Amino acid sequence: MLLLGVGSFAHAELTIDVTKGIEGGGIPIAIAPFGGGAPEDIAGTIATDLQRTGKFAPQSAGSPADYSVTGQAQSGGSRGYVVQFQLNGAQGSQLLNLSFDVPANQLRPVAHRISDLIYEKITGERGLSGTRIAYVAGGGGSWYLVVADADGQNPRMILRSGQPIMSPAWSPDGAKLAYVSFEGRRPQIVVQDVYNGGRRVVSAAPGINGAPAWSPDGRRLAFTLSKDGNPEIYVLDLAAQTPVRLTNSSSIDTEPVWLPDGSIVFTSDRGGSPQLYRIGSGGGAAQRLTFEGDYNARPSVSPDGRYIAMVHRRGGRFHIAVLDLQTRQFRVLTAGGLDESPSFAPNSKMIIYSNGQRLTAVSVDGSIKQDFALRGNGRDPVWAPYSR
Amino acid sequence: MQHFARNLMASAVLALMVGCAATGENTDTDQTGVQPDAAAQPGITAQPGQDAYSYAYGQAPSGYDTYDASGGQAGGRPGGQAVAGAGGAVSADRVVYFDFDSVEIRPESKPVIESNARSLASNRRIITQLEGHTDERGSREYNIALGERRANAVRQTMIVMGVSPQQVRVVSYGEERPAAGGQDEQSYALNRRVEIVY
Repeated sequence: MLLLGVGSFAHAELTIDVTKGIEGGGIPIAIAPFGGGAPEDIAGTIATDLQRTGKFAPQSAGSPADYSVTGQAQSGGSRGYVVQFQLNGAQGSQLLNLSFDVPANQLRPVAHRISDLIYEKITGERGLSGTRIAYVAGGGGSWYLVVADADGQNPRMILRSGQPIMSPAWSPDGAKLAYVSFEGRRPQIVVQDVYNGGRRVVSAAPGINGAPAWSPDGRRLAFTLSKDGNPEIYVLDLAAQTPVRLTNSSSIDTEPVWLPDGSIVFTSDRGGSPQLYRIGSGGGAAQRLTFEGDYNARPSVSPDGRYIAMVHRRGGRFHIAVLDLQTRQFRVLTAGGLDESPSFAPNSKMIIYSNGQRLTAVSVDGSIKQDFALRGNGRDPVWAPYSR
Repeated sequence: MQHFARNLMASAVLALMVGCAATGENTDTDQTGVQPDAAAQPGITAQPGQDAYSYAYGQAPSGYDTYDASGGQAGGRPGGQAVAGAGGAVSADRVVYFDFDSVEIRPESKPVIESNARSLASNRRIITQLEGHTDERGSREYNIALGERRANAVRQTMIVMGVSPQQVRVVSYGEERPAAGGQDEQSYALNRRVEIVY
């Protein structure tokens, strides 16, 4: 067993601990240290990345393993460093052999990219090592919106506020975040460009301005307004000025999210307890989706449209549960407590959520769990889409 | 450390938008959540943007925990926090508590609402903000809706007692501003509340 990624980054805010992997400990893969003297432990990052997928058991070089990784990272090329690596099967067959020209500050992203290439080659699924997450930290006087790499490293505080921040949502291209900000001591929905920091207020109506969610094409935002007396779902075309109301009930309607077909899933207590409903993007009759127990709220739709994750109360405890829209199977994924704010990874396989103290993640089949240990608190996590 | 860019542009746009919203609201006076003209609100600083600083990803600080206010005022913005309510100490005669999962006004809360309603009814120029809160259990946005329901319950009671709807503004913080930090029944009971802020 390698000693994985310990101490190489003094400013690491999150470390990931796989608390549960697949039965049998995962696929053995031997990873040799990269030669060449680059100022980055590329092999260590790859081993950490593969370990935390829960599907691999990284080994030191020379150990018997199903796969092996070797590589070099040395100064040269047009940008500063040349990174090359090879993935080989047990019989010595070469599966990957690639080379990258990168500047020094891209050595770590390249390590994540290599991890994803290895993961995809062997499992046939898209990897998550090169993705990012956003979450809200702080509280009590200072609130922060943070964007970090999916391994928890490299946290960047993109917003600091003296008032609460909540409900961040990534645009489909990963370039913007919509969120709720209470600056000025009233809620408003703000869209912030992640790369230049520019902000635009898209809703500051009287009452609640909450739960923004991007349409699959990135042109519209669904959100909650209570300006007409109680919380209702609205859709705003971002090129227009006036949001269009979708729901009309005397109950709470909130937490809209979009399915790939353009329909919207939301939380409503119109039946007496909070449950999930589905409505067309033009409104109309709502169809109830959940029937298990008396509390199902805060839906998150998997990018492939198959699953809806949610907060589910059972026996006084809050769990993350998932509804399979194909089979209609309802599955409780977590032991429960104060679980909230589920968000699907872009490969539709993992769900990140908050357990009331920390960020953690669970696979959609419940077999893999990952802890994100924060220095400080974290909540409202959202997994970014694959960047294009 | 100083490479953040304070977003004056956004502040200006935001101030404009909120200004417009506040003027337009005076027309529909009897709706829930109506906010009177911002200029007429003593104690409420409607200066959006002053509270928040955004950063381009490439220049964003990584050490956000150095600003963490959990240990005190480090990084806190005194101007933004000196206002009563919204996290500041509120005296007991201005807090209404609720049972779990409930928006019912308890009998023992009636005197608190009554005494505030009396002073509001006797001076129509006073504006109050009712800040609705929940405990931390359950979904955050759903809790925003529950907090608003609680604040509206207090608002309706005040209106019945003779307060003008235009004097009472409602905002819900859901579980975002707990009064007590513990994860136990005692703390939860303190957090399920409406604060009456002047």
